[in-house]
Amino acid sequence: MQSNKLLFFGIIIIAAVIVAGMFLARSLLVNNDPIILSVLYSTEKDAWLTDISSGFAGSVNGRPIQLEFEKMGSREIYLSVLDDSRQPDLISPASSLQISILHDQTEAEAGTPVVNMIGAEDCRSVVSTPLVLVAWQERAEALGWLDNPDADMWEQLQSAVVNPQGWAAYNHPEWGFFKFGQTDPNKSNSGLMALLLITYDYFDKVTGLSTADIIADEYAQWFKEFGKFTTVGDSTGTFMQEIVAFGPSKYDMVAVYESTAIEQIENAAGRYGELRVYYPPATVLSDHPFCVLHADWVTSDKADAARQFIDYLLSQPVQEKALALGFRPANPNIALDTPDSPFNRYAANGLKTDLPAEVELPSGEVLNTLINFWNRNHR
Amino acid sequence: MNSRFNKFIVVIVLCITLIACGSETVGSLVGGKEVEVNLVYGSEKQEWLEPLVAEYNAAENKTADGSTIVIKAEPMGSIEAINAIIGEEIQPAVWSPASSVYLPVAEARWQEKFGNELAAKTPPDLVLSPVVIAMWQPMAEALGWPNEPIGWSDISELAISEEGWTAYGYPEWGEFKFGHTHPDFSNSGLVAILAQAYAGVGKQRDLTPDDLLSPELAQFMEQVESSIIHYGSSTGFFADTMFNRGPSYLSATVMYENLVVAQETKRLTGASAQIPVVAIYPKEGTFWTNNPYVILNALWVSDTQKEAAEAFEAFLLDRPQQERAIALGFRPADPSIPLGSPLDTDHGVDPNQPQTVLEVPEADVIEGAQYLWRQAKRPVDVTLVVDTSGSMSGDKINTARNSLVEFINQLSNRDRVQIVLFNSQVSVLSPLTPLADKREELVRRVSGIIEDGDTSLYDAALEAYQQLETDGDPEHIRAVVVLSDGEDTSSVRTWQEVLQEIGANGEEEGGNSIKIFTIAFGSGADTTVLQQMAEPTGGKQFTGDPATIDDVYAEIALFF
Repeated sequence: MQSNKLLFFGIIIIAAVIVAGMFLARSLLVNNDPIILSVLYSTEKDAWLTDISSGFAGSVNGRPIQLEFEKMGSREIYLSVLDDSRQPDLISPASSLQISILHDQTEAEAGTPVVNMIGAEDCRSVVSTPLVLVAWQERAEALGWLDNPDADMWEQLQSAVVNPQGWAAYNHPEWGFFKFGQTDPNKSNSGLMALLLITYDYFDKVTGLSTADIIADEYAQWFKEFGKFTTVGDSTGTFMQEIVAFGPSKYDMVAVYESTAIEQIENAAGRYGELRVYYPPATVLSDHPFCVLHADWVTSDKADAARQFIDYLLSQPVQEKALALGFRPANPNIALDTPDSPFNRYAANGLKTDLPAEVELPSGEVLNTLINFWNRNHR
Repeated sequence: MNSRFNKFIVVIVLCITLIACGSETVGSLVGGKEVEVNLVYGSEKQEWLEPLVAEYNAAENKTADGSTIVIKAEPMGSIEAINAIIGEEIQPAVWSPASSVYLPVAEARWQEKFGNELAAKTPPDLVLSPVVIAMWQPMAEALGWPNEPIGWSDISELAISEEGWTAYGYPEWGEFKFGHTHPDFSNSGLVAILAQAYAGVGKQRDLTPDDLLSPELAQFMEQVESSIIHYGSSTGFFADTMFNRGPSYLSATVMYENLVVAQETKRLTGASAQIPVVAIYPKEGTFWTNNPYVILNALWVSDTQKEAAEAFEAFLLDRPQQERAIALGFRPADPSIPLGSPLDTDHGVDPNQPQTVLEVPEADVIEGAQYLWRQAKRPVDVTLVVDTSGSMSGDKINTARNSLVEFINQLSNRDRVQIVLFNSQVSVLSPLTPLADKREELVRRVSGIIEDGDTSLYDAALEAYQQLETDGDPEHIRAVVVLSDGEDTSSVRTWQEVLQEIGANGEEEGGNSIKIFTIAFGSGADTTVLQQMAEPTGGKQFTGDPATIDDVYAEIALFF
C-alpha cells in the first residue's frame, strides 16, 4: 500500500510538471509567432529563390519573417489574385506587364488598384532577362544558324516550321518535322512575349503595334500554319526543363528566357548535348517585379516584411547569386562580364551581354487583342 | 484509498497529460488516424514504384493535420484504369498512366461525365521512356540494325510479307511474329496503332480524321495486325511473355525502352538465359511515355487525400528516387540528372535516340484510330470449354453463365465462337461459326446451360483443342478458354495425352500456336493441371470464384 501511494503521488507530480512546462513554453512562444509572408512567384525564378531564401533573416517588431512560397505561371498569378483563389502578400510574375494589367483591372472594378505600378517602393523590379530562342546546337547549325541570323530570324524559323518536308529540306530526314515550341500566352509571360516579337517582326516595326495591325486577315493567314505546328507549354521554367529532359527528339528550338536557358545549359550537356542561344533582332525584357498586394489580409506588419524581403533581393550578394543563375541584376553595381559570370562561361553557347533595342510594350488593350488573336489562330 | 481507485486516478492524470502534450502524441500512441491514397498506375513502372511505396509507407509520413499517409498502389493498363474510373468501378485519388497521349480523350470523357476538369493541378511527369520496338538482336541485325535505320513502315512490311524471315535469309525463324497490347486498354497498344496509322498514310504529323477514312489505311492495318500473336491488357505482362518465351514465340513487341534495359540487366547478371534483345527506335519517329501523375479532381478525393497525394508526388520527384529510376532503365524527369549506365548499348539501348517523334494527334483522331483498329484487328477463333458437372450448381453456374454472355458481347461479329460443355460427356453446344450469324441465339443457349454429372476435363480439353486445329483458321488468333471447378473424374483420355498434344503443337508453331487460357473456378479446381495446360501454349491460368469470374473473362477477352 505504501509503495502504491508513492507511485501515485510520483506520477501526479511528474504529470503536473509536464503540463506546467507545456503551458509555459506555449505562452512564451506566442510572442515569437513568425510573420508568415506568402509569396507567389513565376516558375523561372524557382532556383534563385529557393537558393537565397534560407539566408533571409528579417523580422518585424521582434517577430521573425517566415517565407511561404508557391510558384506558378505569370498569368495564372494575376488571375488567381483576381479570382481570389490565392491570397498572397507578395507577387512576382515574370513581367511588369502583368502588374499593369492587374493594376488597371482592379482599379476599374473596385476603384483602388490591388498593386502599385512598377517603380513604387513596394513594387520593384529585381532582375531582368530577355526572350531568346534556344536550340540544340547540332540542329541549329544544320539550319544554317552558325551565328545569330539577326534580321530575318523569325522568317527563317517560320519557314522551317511550316515546311512539309521538315528536316529533309535541310538534309536531315532522320530528324522528322521541325519542332518549335513556346509557352501559352494565356498562361505564361514568355509565350506572350514571343507572340509580341513575332507580331512586331511581321509588321516590320518596333513601336506602335495596334489592334488594327493584329486583326488584319493577312497576318492571320501567315500565322495560322505556324501556330498549328507550334508545341505549347504551360510555364516557362517547367517547359525548359521538359526540353532538356526529353531532348531534341521532341523540341528542336524553343522561345524562352535567357535565364532559363542558362539554368539548363549544363543539364542539357549531361543529357543530349550543347544548347545554343539566339537573340531576336528586337528584344523584350522580362523584368521580374516584386509587388506587395493592397488587400485586407496584408497587414502593415506583412507589408513591412515584404519590403524587407525586396530589399534583401536587391542586396549585393543576393543579386550576385541571381547573376550566377543567369539573370541580369537590377543592381547597377554588378557587372555582367566578370570572369565567372555565366555570360562569360557560356559565350560559346551564344550568350551576349549587349542586347538589341527593345520593342515598345503595347497597351493592355492591344495585348488582350493579341491573346485573343492567338486563341483564334492557334489550334 | 483502495488500489482500484488509485489506478483510476493514475489513468485520468495520464490522459490529461497526454492531451496537454497534443493530440498527435495521443494519436500515435493509440494508433492514430490514417489517410489512404489509392494510386492506379501503368504496370511498366511497377519495379520502380512498388519498393518506393513500401519505403514511403514505412516512414509514416504525416499530413498537416497529423494523419499518417498510407499509399496503396495497384498496377493496371493505363487506359483500362481510366475506363474503370470513369465507369466508377474504382475510385482512386491518383491515376498515373504510361503517357499523356490518352489524356485529351480522358479529359473529354471525364468532363462529359463529371462536368469538371480531370486533374486537380497540372500533372508533373514522373519518369520518361521512349516507345520502342523490342527485337531479338540477331533478328534486328538481319534487318540491318544498328547501321540501317528501321521504321514502323519496315516492321509493317515484314508483318505483311508472306515470306516472313525467309526474305531475309532466315527461313528457320519462320513467320514474323509481332505483338502489341490492346489499344483500348493499354498505352503501348494505343501508340502502336497510331504509329501504324502514320506509317500507313506516310505522315509524321497532322494525322486527320479524313486520313483515317482511307480504305488503303484500313487494309494496311488489317494486314499488319494479321501478324499479331495476341493482344493483352498490360505492357509489363507482354514484355514478360516475350522475354520468358524467347524468339520462337515473338519476334518483336511494341514496348518501352526501360523494359528492354530491365531485361538486358537480367541477362547480363545471369537472371535470364535468353539471347540479347535490342531497342529499335523507329526512323519515322516514336512517342514518349512520361508517366504523368494525375491527382483526380474528383468528389471522392478529400482535401487531405490531395495533400497526401502531393506529398507522395514530391517524394517521387526527389533526387534519390529519380536517380533510382535510372538503374531500372528510365530516363529521369529531373533534367539535372545525367543519362548514364545502364542506359547504354551494353543494355540494348541508345540514349542519343530517339531522333524524332510522331505528333500526338487530337482526341477525335485518337478515338478514330481505335475505332479503325477494332475493324482491322486480327479475328479470333475461340472455343469456350465449360464445366457443367454437378459441383457447379448454385452460384457457380449462375455467374458462369452471365460471364460467358459478357465475354461473347465483347467479341466482334467477324470472330468465330464454338462452345463445348462437359460433365460425364463432352458435347458441342455451338460449332465454330462467325458470331455475326448466331449472336442472339448463342446468348440464349448459354443462358440455358444446366449442371449435372462428373468431370471429363481431359477429354473436353483435348477434343476442343484438336477440333480447333482442324477447323480453326491459322490466320486468326486461335484460343481455347477452359473453365473448370474440379479434378478430372471420368475422362477416357489421359493427362499425358493432353500434354503431348499441346506440347508438340506449340513447338511447331511458336507464337501462332493455339493458346489455352484456363480458369480454376472455386477452391476445388485442379490448379496444377490447369496451369500446366495453359503455360506451354503461351496462354495463362486464372483463378476465379463467383464474385470475380466476370473480371477473369473480361481480362481474357483483352488477349483478343
